Amino acid sequence: MIPIEHVIKVNHLSKTFGETQAVKNLSFTVEKGEIFGIIGPNGAGKTTTLEILEGIQKASGGEVEVLGLHPVKQLRELNNRIGVQFQATSIQKKMKVKEAMDLFASFYKGKTQKNELIEMLGLQEKLDVRFEDLSGGWKQRVTLALATLHQPELLFLDEPSMGLDPHARRELWAMIRTLRDKGSTIVVTTHYMEEAEKLCDRVAMIYSGELKALNTPNELLDDVSTHYVRFESEEVSYDSLLSLGDVIKVEKEEHEFKVFSENLQQTAYQIFKYCDEEGMELRNFKFERGSLDDLFVQYLKKEKTG
Amino acid sequence: MSTVMKLAHLETKMFFRDRLSVFWTFLFPVAMIWLFGSMFSGSITGPFSFAELFIPSWIGVNIVTTSFFTLGTVLAGYRETGVLRRYQSTPLQPWKILAAHTVQGTVIFFISAVLLMVFGMMMYDLELPLYIGSTLLALVISILAFFPFALFVTSLAKNTQAAAAISSLFLNLMLFLSGATFPLELMPTVLQYVSKVLPLYYVIQLLRGTWNEAPITEYGFEVGILIGISAVSIFLASRFFRWDDR
Repeated sequence: MIPIEHVIKVNHLSKTFGETQAVKNLSFTVEKGEIFGIIGPNGAGKTTTLEILEGIQKASGGEVEVLGLHPVKQLRELNNRIGVQFQATSIQKKMKVKEAMDLFASFYKGKTQKNELIEMLGLQEKLDVRFEDLSGGWKQRVTLALATLHQPELLFLDEPSMGLDPHARRELWAMIRTLRDKGSTIVVTTHYMEEAEKLCDRVAMIYSGELKALNTPNELLDDVSTHYVRFESEEVSYDSLLSLGDVIKVEKEEHEFKVFSENLQQTAYQIFKYCDEEGMELRNFKFERGSLDDLFVQYLKKEKTG
Repeated sequence: MSTVMKLAHLETKMFFRDRLSVFWTFLFPVAMIWLFGSMFSGSITGPFSFAELFIPSWIGVNIVTTSFFTLGTVLAGYRETGVLRRYQSTPLQPWKILAAHTVQGTVIFFISAVLLMVFGMMMYDLELPLYIGSTLLALVISILAFFPFALFVTSLAKNTQAAAAISSLFLNLMLFLSGATFPLELMPTVLQYVSKVLPLYYVIQLLRGTWNEAPITEYGFEVGILIGISAVSIFLASRFFRWDDR
């Protein structure tokens, strides 16, 4: 068995700003070659955690090791080996794409993958365009290219798909996967649960600076108690569904029903049997799984009720 | 090409892409000289002509505008919009950013100085500086004093607007109290003392002097003051360099 190589080790990390504790006793590791997601609502401590890993902010307590380096003490070496796409940053408005690529390439010793990136990200047609004239999606591509010019071993992406339309977001995911396949480990923060679900190999869920869950999206979702069946029918009554065994709750909107149950297979059988006996019609019957969104809401509820 | 020169080259190019800053940097001083010329050029008494007094002074003023607006306010804007933050996780060191902007500012300043000089020669019979090597040296010393000074002062601003406000304050103060626009002799004694606290006063003394009267070796005091400002400002600007506006 190949031993697991840890690219990032975080041990009991904490960070305080005056009175506020932004990060509390956070511990996790990131393995080489994975896409590691940090999710949580705005203000959960995601960006602070990322900036500590990047050596931009100092930790108040605990230990952090990135690529075997101390982020603050060995910052220069770290900066040669990591790439960072910051949240909501810009390059000079009047700088053209190709000028930015040339400039950033000159920061690194050795050959960069400038031409490969131009091709991979489809930047050819935009090389002579000024940054201020690019749309949001193209700006993200350019800053992603600038962060990955030197083929970093570790790539940090802070809310990379913020403000992108669904199509551009999917394209971005494909690019991130390609970068991973080319050998980078990727740490991405997001508050889009769908992004975490579809893109990440493992997900750390952070809320109020604390780690609430850490697992693969699939296994996290298996914990969700919100699995349900969904169907449409004009004839079925709400009460008759609620009286079926194992059913926890029923949601009805127009003709669409969501039936939550402890035992989905059994409940589905009961619904079909009932409708068959009564001669009722069912349409678009589906087994649905809760999303990370649901899981998140679930955690927050637990938090509030204690 | 080294990173510093590459960045300086790009910043210079981008400066020329912004028409408004081209106007303020190059044409505004020429227009001011023309305006002052039409008011005073016939009425100046004493050993020196209007152009011999005003053009070296306005070249000095241009050092101030370049350092506060072309450098300081622009970098404050970069701080606010995250341009500098983008550099932060690259191997680019802060001193290289400051050096690149200093090179860019120097190029832009020299273009504006040549424009003013040529304008003076064509309109007001200005002649080349009497001690041209001394004048050039004086310019270099003035740049080394003012650029880091402005970079440091504007880096204290919270955002671009604040940086622009600080810059305007410094510019106006020096414009009127350093002898660049109004003869100090006409001012109350108190203001004459105030003017000696302003760094531009020494720049103007040095430029007017080497242009019209004596080599730089005669101006040890002024040179000393400017080198002092330079050393302190370079230290402060690099020590307190900030990547963002937090």
